[in-house]
Amino acid sequence: MSGPARRAIPLRRRTVVWLAGLVVAVNGFFPAVWIFLTSLKTETELIQSPITYLPTAPTLQNYVVAFTTQPLLRFMANSFVVATLSTALCVFVSALAAYALTRLRIPGRNLIMAVLLAIAMFPLISLMVPLFKVMRELGLLNTYLALILPYAVLSMPVCTLVMASFFQDIPPDLEAAAMIDGCSRVGALFKVVIPLSAPGVFTAAILAFVNAWDEFLLALTMMNRVNMRTLSVGITLYQGEFAFPWPLISAALIVAIVPISILIAVFQERVVGGLTAGGVKG
Amino acid sequence: MRGRDLSERTLGVLLLAPAALLLLVIVVYPIATLLVNSLYAVDNANPAAGEHFVGLDNYARAAADDRFWNATLHTVLYIVVTVPGALLIGLGLALLANQPFRVKWPVRLGLLLPWALPLVFAGLIFRWFFEYQTGVVNDWLARLGFEPLQWLSEPNLAFAAISIAIVWKAASFMGLMLLAGLQTIPRSLYEAAEVDGATKFQQFVAITLPMLRPAIFVALIFRTITAIQTFDIPYAMTGGGPGDSTETLAMYIHKTTLDFLDFGYGSALAALMFVLSMAATSGYLRYTRRSAGREP
Repeated sequence: MSGPARRAIPLRRRTVVWLAGLVVAVNGFFPAVWIFLTSLKTETELIQSPITYLPTAPTLQNYVVAFTTQPLLRFMANSFVVATLSTALCVFVSALAAYALTRLRIPGRNLIMAVLLAIAMFPLISLMVPLFKVMRELGLLNTYLALILPYAVLSMPVCTLVMASFFQDIPPDLEAAAMIDGCSRVGALFKVVIPLSAPGVFTAAILAFVNAWDEFLLALTMMNRVNMRTLSVGITLYQGEFAFPWPLISAALIVAIVPISILIAVFQERVVGGLTAGGVKG
Repeated sequence: MRGRDLSERTLGVLLLAPAALLLLVIVVYPIATLLVNSLYAVDNANPAAGEHFVGLDNYARAAADDRFWNATLHTVLYIVVTVPGALLIGLGLALLANQPFRVKWPVRLGLLLPWALPLVFAGLIFRWFFEYQTGVVNDWLARLGFEPLQWLSEPNLAFAAISIAIVWKAASFMGLMLLAGLQTIPRSLYEAAEVDGATKFQQFVAITLPMLRPAIFVALIFRTITAIQTFDIPYAMTGGGPGDSTETLAMYIHKTTLDFLDFGYGSALAALMFVLSMAATSGYLRYTRRSAGREP
């Protein structure tokens, strides 16, 4: 089927399309490819002049060193715990809010939406200063809670908006039918609305997870014990005072990037849909 | 019916309560204490006594603080350079990505990867690109017959290198948003223009740009609000150096609070930043409300 249709497109046009795709892909992939190549080089190869592009004697030694000089697995575990729990909290709280905002007639609905948007635009650094003090007074510095709570709040606006747009598309009749069958309103939310908008809930969860996995400023501020560092901060610990061991840093970066890259590669269409939903609809 | 109305309202309050509670603890209460803290300072002559009330002294201090104005100037420069920069590159990426590809994932992932990469990692990677002796950028310059440049130790070049990294990181997200906007433009408009004999460039100016205006506006606002908070990339690339030449407002606030432990002054700076950012946000809200009103 695609044979004749393809031949209908002139070769020149096909080349242009191919080149356009190549530019976008190279722009996106080049940094990751470059640090992957670097991670396979030795320090001695690195200081050769002119620089080499492909490693002359590829080695996995940097990966071994990356795991032994810093608690890289611990960093990953910390990131995973913080991202997972903050995502769960965020999605739960946002789902309830999104339901109230889309399905119930409540006063001040627009004002609540405006407040949510304002929080999404909030300068994190302004929040960081007092939040540090609050967490210190509560004795929560260097605990997962110090990051889980703020991360859940930071992703709340986008999660609420994404889920609200999905909830809106579910016919009210389905909910009404469930309630006639003896379901309570909250029961209908969990048994009808959420299962039917599973893609929306899932999209919201991925966005919240990536946000939490990537965050740096609060992670740097709230956790100063090495064992509690998350990946984004932990990776910066590989640099020496004056020297940057680039092959080692690159290996650690690759380890840190792989999980999140797989996540977005698998769910790319959903992520794009979730990211652009807010922007295009305004 | 009246009974049902009441219960709906109660249910609404109950469902919104967890979100409101979180907001209260994580946003509202800290911001309130931020404003109070900004009125206190540690007496340098007697630090053991703790912080005492100084009124608006911290704000007066900011007005006379060269480093604060420098950091503000750098932040404004990053906004002025990276917002249009990311828009242009992002628009280019969106137009390139809006082609009839048979295999879509490499292009889509090419736009998503820079978005998913933590800012601080992007900063580290670009620092590696711009290294004097071993960096790939100077290698390209050498191949083209130019002298290698001291990217990260010369103030203007460091600013340029950081801006390039920020634009690279931000352009993909802009590209994604603009691509979504491009895909909402009806094909028929272009077909009609084609029939009328319009060139590709004329079509771009007369159809694409006007139709894309809402998406461009939203993308610009998002980018501006993020640019106000620039922290991670300069932190990873130069640490604010050489000297304070690439230090942003967010970096200065972070240093004041956590390195110099000057909470009162840091709070005053953070409050100023809050006001700056809220001004930008209110512009955004006014726009979205207006465009929401325009919809049928």
